[in-house]
Amino acid sequence: MKYLISHQTTYTYYEPVSVCYNVLRLVPRNTDRQLCTSVSVTIHPEPDSLQEYEDFFGNKVIYFSIEKEHARLSVKVFSEIEKRAVAAREIGLYGNATIESVKRQLMDNPQEVGDIGQYIFETPMTAWNEEIAAYARASLRPGLPVLEAAGDLMRRIFSDFRFTPGFTAVSTPLETVMRERKGVCQDFAHLAIACCRSVGLPARYVSGYIETLSPPGVEKLIGVDASHAWFSVYIPHLGWVDFDPTNNLLPAEQHITIGWGRDYADIAPMRGVLLSSGTHGLSVAVDVRRVK
Amino acid sequence: MDHFADQARLQEGIGEDGKMPLHWAAFFRSYARLGSEEIAGRNEDLTRLLRENGVTYNIYGDPNGLNRPWKLDMIPFLISNEEWPVMEAGLLQRARLLNLILEDIYGEGRLVRSGILPFELLYNHPGFLRQCSGIPLPGRQHLVMYSADLARSREGKIWVVSDRTQAPSGSGYALENRTAMTRVVPELFEGQNVRHLSPYFNALRDGLNNLAPRQRTMPRPGGGAPRIVILTPGSSNETYFEHAYLSSYLGFTLVQGNDLIVKDSYVWLKTMGGLERVDVILRRVDDIYCDPLELKADSQLGVPGLLQAVRSGHVSIANPIGSGVLENPGMMPFLQPMARYLLSEDLLIPTIATWWCGQPKEMNYVLNLLSTLVIKKIARNPAGSSSIDGAALSHAQLQQLKAQIIAHPALYVGQEKVDISSTPSLINGKMESRKVLFRSFLVSSGDGYVAMSGGLCRTSSEPGNFIISNQSGGISKDAWILSPEPDRILAPLKETPDRGAAAEEDMLPSHAAENLFWVGRYTERVLGNARFLRTVMQFLAEGNKGMTESNRLTERSLLVALTQYTYTYPGFTGPGSDAAFANPWAELKEVLLNEKRAGSLKFNFLQFQRAIHEVREHWSTDTWRVLRTMEEELAQDIPLSHQGHLRMLHTLDNLITFIVAFIGLNRESISREQGWIVLDIGRKIEQSLLLLTMLKTTLVNRSSDQVEYSLRQSVLMSHESLVNYRYKYRRPIDNRLVLDFLLFDPNNPRSLTYHLQRLRVHLKQLPNDQAGYGLTEYERLILEADTLLKLSDKDSLAAVKDDEAKYGFLDDLLTRMYGLLVAIPAVISKTYFKHEVPHFPSDDLYVL
Repeated sequence: MKYLISHQTTYTYYEPVSVCYNVLRLVPRNTDRQLCTSVSVTIHPEPDSLQEYEDFFGNKVIYFSIEKEHARLSVKVFSEIEKRAVAAREIGLYGNATIESVKRQLMDNPQEVGDIGQYIFETPMTAWNEEIAAYARASLRPGLPVLEAAGDLMRRIFSDFRFTPGFTAVSTPLETVMRERKGVCQDFAHLAIACCRSVGLPARYVSGYIETLSPPGVEKLIGVDASHAWFSVYIPHLGWVDFDPTNNLLPAEQHITIGWGRDYADIAPMRGVLLSSGTHGLSVAVDVRRVK
Repeated sequence: MDHFADQARLQEGIGEDGKMPLHWAAFFRSYARLGSEEIAGRNEDLTRLLRENGVTYNIYGDPNGLNRPWKLDMIPFLISNEEWPVMEAGLLQRARLLNLILEDIYGEGRLVRSGILPFELLYNHPGFLRQCSGIPLPGRQHLVMYSADLARSREGKIWVVSDRTQAPSGSGYALENRTAMTRVVPELFEGQNVRHLSPYFNALRDGLNNLAPRQRTMPRPGGGAPRIVILTPGSSNETYFEHAYLSSYLGFTLVQGNDLIVKDSYVWLKTMGGLERVDVILRRVDDIYCDPLELKADSQLGVPGLLQAVRSGHVSIANPIGSGVLENPGMMPFLQPMARYLLSEDLLIPTIATWWCGQPKEMNYVLNLLSTLVIKKIARNPAGSSSIDGAALSHAQLQQLKAQIIAHPALYVGQEKVDISSTPSLINGKMESRKVLFRSFLVSSGDGYVAMSGGLCRTSSEPGNFIISNQSGGISKDAWILSPEPDRILAPLKETPDRGAAAEEDMLPSHAAENLFWVGRYTERVLGNARFLRTVMQFLAEGNKGMTESNRLTERSLLVALTQYTYTYPGFTGPGSDAAFANPWAELKEVLLNEKRAGSLKFNFLQFQRAIHEVREHWSTDTWRVLRTMEEELAQDIPLSHQGHLRMLHTLDNLITFIVAFIGLNRESISREQGWIVLDIGRKIEQSLLLLTMLKTTLVNRSSDQVEYSLRQSVLMSHESLVNYRYKYRRPIDNRLVLDFLLFDPNNPRSLTYHLQRLRVHLKQLPNDQAGYGLTEYERLILEADTLLKLSDKDSLAAVKDDEAKYGFLDDLLTRMYGLLVAIPAVISKTYFKHEVPHFPSDDLYVL
């Protein structure tokens, strides 16, 4: 399966900006389930400086700066993704690993925990309180296989929480999301991650896209898609297993990964500082199109 | 002698046989020779010298904590010739070890993967900045500077109490302490062979020079030595004195975050002449504040894009961003195994016994012995002390702490309370014993490190107190490392800062220029206000005797003018002014001494002082002495009695003398010509504006001839021009002549024409991109003002018709002139000081 993805971000400044610095994390990385066959990044006005590197987590990063006065900044990223079919996992062998056995196996293997250990601890965006920890315990019960428990957590978040765009912002604490039972994909991913970590399970944040399908017979509009986020849980020998609590789905064909980190802050699509006295407007248009 | 021996017997350094070691005995011989009276006197001199040199330490969160005087105990901390080599070797080893740990953490990560360093300790530590991983650094050592706090136990054993690896502070204070000691009590050094500090600073200078990026894709214009700057968080930082001091001593420009800008992935310094490339940054800003783009997004102290410039290899930072990860007491128990793993050596200096609660056994030990240990979090709390003395906690507090540890065990350590030895200290003129911490300083050099042969000692504020920190009011000591033979490297005199070492051709940083400009403006504002206030007070003090109607009217006019001139409304204006007129001295005292009243003399003085501190590396010791005296002059409270009136006048006299002295010192004191020019531009602009305001508030309104005459006399007096006027014109104080003298006379240094001339000359000396392309914006303004003045008809200005309430032409001229001149500062600021405020977009890409 092949996808063409277009992700366009436009900033409109109400006062001209003399310099801006940006860090982009919008180029999809390769995983065992996808191959990024081509990518093009178009920035307007043309950057005075542009560099690429891989960050600590192996995500692809683009740094650029614009050092002349401008009133508008547009960043277009086109990428072509080939999804790979993955051979059936040996779930039979490892799929029954319980929370306790996962933790034990990690502790016994410093080599492995040296990398996975990143994802066990609280971060400011995944801070949990007692209410969240209690919510986690209802799903992540001792003795239960992790796969089943995480699936249950995903299902409960899907049915207990209302998808409400605009209710939260990047800075909204998780406890507000928990109390109000409202949020968007980032919040649900963060909540699930906090739940997993509260019982000591490694969990990470995945940023990406999801293909949305229009009803039969209606042509899909361009730009109606959006960036998406979900969470992933680590099980020794099996690796990272993705869960999408916003859609109650195990990500497969329709999910395209950009990258991952401990939380949103590690993989924010675009972060910038600009020298200006004014405010700005932002618009984002994403299109995910299946080619064959 | 016996007296001192008795005193010292209780202190450290006393051998088991109860005898005083030789080095202490030698010291106390010199000390005793001085005699107690002399010692008391020298001690006062020491305090005064430090105050006059402006040596300060700021305390956060304390309104009176800004610029607190530095305290130095005259009795040094002695380290013997036998002891030092052992300490030094241990310190050098520890620096090498920490350097390798830092390299591993941000590089291969072998320590964590092999399980030698528990991953929880690293991944839970806020100082571990994943953004910095994999960044290659120039120089052979990644850890450029390192500091350790050492303590001696009662048995004489040396322990490391904590490590400083981000932006270690104190070396400048150590140097200032030594300089003060050699000046005030040179006798104590006699026969002692105290080792010098300068080799450390030479190594620091060389080390930073060697750090400059080598492979340059963009060669520095004209080749030249690397440009090194010291990045400070600013004048309210606790150790700002030291930043400015090191800047002068080492000859590196002192900058704040907004003085720097990243362009094309290089770092540039904004100067009056444009952008200049920076090669090396010695930073005093904590890791996460260094770059709002990749680190703490709301930091105002850093430089956006800085980390990318480092990543590109275009700039080097000492210490590298991310080195705060080593400031982690949780690592202490693992240093020995890490030393085995990385160096195949055992630690030479033991670390204070530390139990990291991330391990069940250690946690239980800590929980059981909580009240006997010191508890620390693995991350330092930047806002204050992060140590908790278990013994000081109540039962409830202990339970609470236990619960916190159990909830997040990996974040806590318990540390043994070492019985730190005491050392003889001179406290309030008496010898007492105090617990002491010794901070040592190391810098990378060649294949290894160099340790300062000396250091900074801090003692507890009370005899038994265990916690020692400058924040809680400790006292410092010089540290003497004794050598068997005289130190041949450099004479102690070399240790005074060599001011003005900054390369002459370097342009003044914009930020410094702006502050110097404001120093100039506030200088004149304080002076102008003081002179007018004095004139008004003198009139009141004399006029009271025979109160004629015209005297009464003159007094009223002067008081109203004073309110208008100083902008201390309502004052003597408005509906409530009757009360003020009835008791003018109460209001005058407010205008002089109430610092909360905007426009008061004290208020302006504080602004003046603030601007001076922002550029403190520019002033000489003499300037500090003058400033200190002014501060004292304004610190007194004066009663509202006749006696009090005279004291206020006396205060104003002194203040005026000191300000004039300050102005006189500027020319020779400010290390760079450009700095002086900018300061003088500020003065001339302020003088012009004040003169126009003065004339407008006193000479425009009509009154009786007698009153107008008295007002003209007051105007001349408050410009110290009465004598000059009489000498020049030899005539009564005539309206036309006064205006001629104060507005038009090109030879009167207090006239507007003179100010405009100076301004024009100064502004021509500033860097100018548009040379040859006509006039700059400020040149146009000055030309217009000058022309307006030249075209004015002197007779019309001084003339008035009988039925008119004011001198219309004069009023019109003064208003228009003011409008033109008041626009100049904004233009200068736009051209030379402009600093944009970073603004941060929120990337709320919250959808689906």
